[in-house]
Amino acid sequence: MLEIRDLSVSIGPHEIVHIDALDLPAGRRVGLVGESGSGKTMTAMSIVGLQPADAKVTGSITFEGSELLGRSETEMAKVRGGDIGLILQDPARALDPMMRIGRQVSEAIRLHMNLSRKEVVDRVLSLLAQVQLPDPEQLLRRYPHQLSGGQQQRVLIASAIACDPKLLIADEPTTALDVTVQEGILELLVQLSDERGMGVLFVSHDLGVVRFVCEEIAVVYGGRLVEVGPTTSVVRTSRHRYTESLLAANPGIAASDELEQYVGRRLDVIRGSVPALGDFPTGCRFRDRCDFASDACREPPPTMISEHGHRFRCWNPAGGDVDAAAG
Amino acid sequence: MPPLVEVSGLHFRYGKARVRGHDDAWTLRDLTLNIEDGSTLGVVGESGSGKSTLVRVLCGLLHPQQGAVRFDGRDIREWLSESQTDLRRRNQIVFQSPRRSLDPRMSIRRALGQPVRALERRVPSDTELIEWLERVGLGSEILQRYPHQLSGGQLQRVGIARAISVKPSVLYADEPVSALDVSVQAQVLNLLMDVRSQFGLTLVMVSHDLGVVSRLCEEVIVMKDGLIIEAGRTSEVLANPQTAYTESLVTAARTVSLAAPDH
Repeated sequence: MLEIRDLSVSIGPHEIVHIDALDLPAGRRVGLVGESGSGKTMTAMSIVGLQPADAKVTGSITFEGSELLGRSETEMAKVRGGDIGLILQDPARALDPMMRIGRQVSEAIRLHMNLSRKEVVDRVLSLLAQVQLPDPEQLLRRYPHQLSGGQQQRVLIASAIACDPKLLIADEPTTALDVTVQEGILELLVQLSDERGMGVLFVSHDLGVVRFVCEEIAVVYGGRLVEVGPTTSVVRTSRHRYTESLLAANPGIAASDELEQYVGRRLDVIRGSVPALGDFPTGCRFRDRCDFASDACREPPPTMISEHGHRFRCWNPAGGDVDAAAG
Repeated sequence: MPPLVEVSGLHFRYGKARVRGHDDAWTLRDLTLNIEDGSTLGVVGESGSGKSTLVRVLCGLLHPQQGAVRFDGRDIREWLSESQTDLRRRNQIVFQSPRRSLDPRMSIRRALGQPVRALERRVPSDTELIEWLERVGLGSEILQRYPHQLSGGQLQRVGIARAISVKPSVLYADEPVSALDVSVQAQVLNLLMDVRSQFGLTLVMVSHDLGVVSRLCEEVIVMKDGLIIEAGRTSEVLANPQTAYTESLVTAARTVSLAAPDH
């Protein structure tokens, strides 16, 4: 459904994102994972034409066979909120504080669909029920500040799915929320995607969260795709050293019988931090933070190696040599 | 030895908000709690459960309407009236948002020296400032920078360096890593473990992330609606939650844990 080819996003002299190939089949949930500054949000935003004004985007992004890049702002506005829905990180900032919930959710419907006032209200009520908000009738007249963070995020999900999008882009939708609230929102996203056959591009720095939601994971570092594959395969048998380190740095919660031995035990960390734009090393962009870097890594990493639908590019992959026959 | 912090029958509410006959008006209700010297305590619960309020009351920043807080054997009201600077020096806090807890117009040099200037009434030397930065893994080059020029992880390190510059007894960390990336979280959590053991600090950490608490804290209290609903050794509370609420927190944490089985 969504095909990204040779996507390049640059600001000034710096190429922030370069993704040679990434696909999102209809109805699939794909996670885009990386640290701050990895270019994951920039990638997601360029799909819907919301990259910064001074960014130069080249390559190709096709959605259901037609090209999205190079479309006018008017044409992109029809896509956003129509065929492609969008949810952002901070629900409190994404909602207009002066606008009642009813108006907020109906905005996309009024822009994209030709419905009578009665039909619009019915649709909004049905959407609020679908995102499992209690008392939709009452809610229509409420203002954002009268809702909790979790309820606000549900309202945003309702607006994002208002026009039955085929693809939903969710950028860190639960980062600002409590764990229990987060769980509810993640379950809701999975359920809506299953029921509606809606594809989801889920952007997050937290592999634990992505693993729960997505069937496929794409890991980015320094604006480059380093590993893509089915979730279980990427998490259980990660091949790129960056993915491996990201997994190790995630504290998670140990099994009950192991809790005792984890108290006070240091976490595995990734050395240093993501370099500033233009300060990435030549060759493999991760090599100055990688414990396994060798001389080979000074050279640009090999093109994507494919094993049973799990692709990665690394000179010294975790889990041993490449199974060439599996290609 | 008596506990370092003793809390008994503590009630707290903001302002004069009082609804007759409603216990709900209290942000903290009838809390009793001991914190031993050198221990690590996690405070968990959802937004609005009173976690951050509790920390502010224990530090003497907010004053309880009922009940008592004793720090190092003396009532906190006595500390506040007789030796307030000592109380402040010995109880330091690291806040959630490092960007908002540092003054954007103050260079790191000034921000870092602030606690010593305020509490010890002297200007720290450059040698000291550099030593404090080294403790948290930062270099002297950031002294002349301003908060907007540093990353979230670097700012949180500055926050920790500032807090320990006055040699506190208790370090309160209020959601110290929830605004950071997973990879940066790990670095900051390791730093907290290091400074705690190096300076023999008592660590009280507020967090909604049970994974984080299970790594850093030997003891835990679970708060809900201003009450402590469960308390004990972290490993036991998480393995055998006694209340449905704690169980829901553990389940939610396991859902997004990488250690969870595949689904």
